[in-house]
Amino acid sequence: MSPRTRLALLCLAGACLTVPIWKVAQALPPFGAPTGAYGPAVNALGPPLRHVSNMVSAVNFDFRGFDTLGEEFMLLCAVTGAVLLLRGTRGESLADKAGIIPGRPRERRADATILICRIFGPLTLVFGLYMALHATVTPGGGFQGGVVAASGLLMVYLGEGYETWRKLVRSRVLDVMEAGGALLFAMAGLSPMLTGAAFMQNVLPLGAFKDMLSGGLMLVENVGVGFAVAGGFAMLFLEFMEETRALKSETQE
Amino acid sequence: MSLILGLLLGLAALAGLGVVLSRDPRRQVMAMAANGLALTLLFFALQAPDVALSELTVGTAATPLLFLVTLAAVRMNRVRQRK
Repeated sequence: MSPRTRLALLCLAGACLTVPIWKVAQALPPFGAPTGAYGPAVNALGPPLRHVSNMVSAVNFDFRGFDTLGEEFMLLCAVTGAVLLLRGTRGESLADKAGIIPGRPRERRADATILICRIFGPLTLVFGLYMALHATVTPGGGFQGGVVAASGLLMVYLGEGYETWRKLVRSRVLDVMEAGGALLFAMAGLSPMLTGAAFMQNVLPLGAFKDMLSGGLMLVENVGVGFAVAGGFAMLFLEFMEETRALKSETQE
Repeated sequence: MSLILGLLLGLAALAGLGVVLSRDPRRQVMAMAANGLALTLLFFALQAPDVALSELTVGTAATPLLFLVTLAAVRMNRVRQRK
């Protein structure tokens, strides 16, 4: 197909679609207008029924907790697949040395970089923990907190270099974190059934409104998600970083 | 629609255009991170802090990093093959 025909086809399709799109756009509710009944209902029912102030967590971990369980295992499968693909072609041997792109000058790491990373690395980790723990009170939650904590690990890489990063970040620990988190979430769903309740029914005491320890079972699920996401993302980072390490043949030269 | 929302929508569109128009992969990664930041601000202004946090961590930190590492790995392998 020549570029001219393609352009003609594009113009034709555009001409055909303009009127319908305009009609649909005219029929849309105005920008920012509340449309669904679900949001106001959740906002009204969340605090009295579940004692939580972050309704996003209430939906994610309680009202629609089963959906989140599916998402959790989706992440687990994605990370497992990536690890299988990357480690499968590379093997598990550790050369403990960063690879070099030939032709690029190797400069010493600036003191300012090291200092900033040493200050902000632990801070990022603590902030991630804070965010994961306060899922039922303030915005954020296990997923966001987990990713923040995992990216705090990257500060180690940036500030200390590949060797220290490789020594600190062990794939065994990340395995346990990721799988254990997912298992904890699944068990949080299954264990209420032992008492005769429904799957993932919130049977734990709900705690006080606006307290960190509010929400009952949501807290357990949230800790599971936090561990699984932090472990999963750190594992992804690790496996991708391993792709840039020096090969054994290169380090023996 | 307030002025801030309009500005942020424009910024997000501009950042997206930057991703499409930049041809060098490394620049494209940076443009994608900038687009993630613009989206973060937009979500925040639209009162969706949870989504903004996810976008900030995944869109501006995790995904660009994975792309950068992949690009580095690709360049290293290319040189190895030439030897």
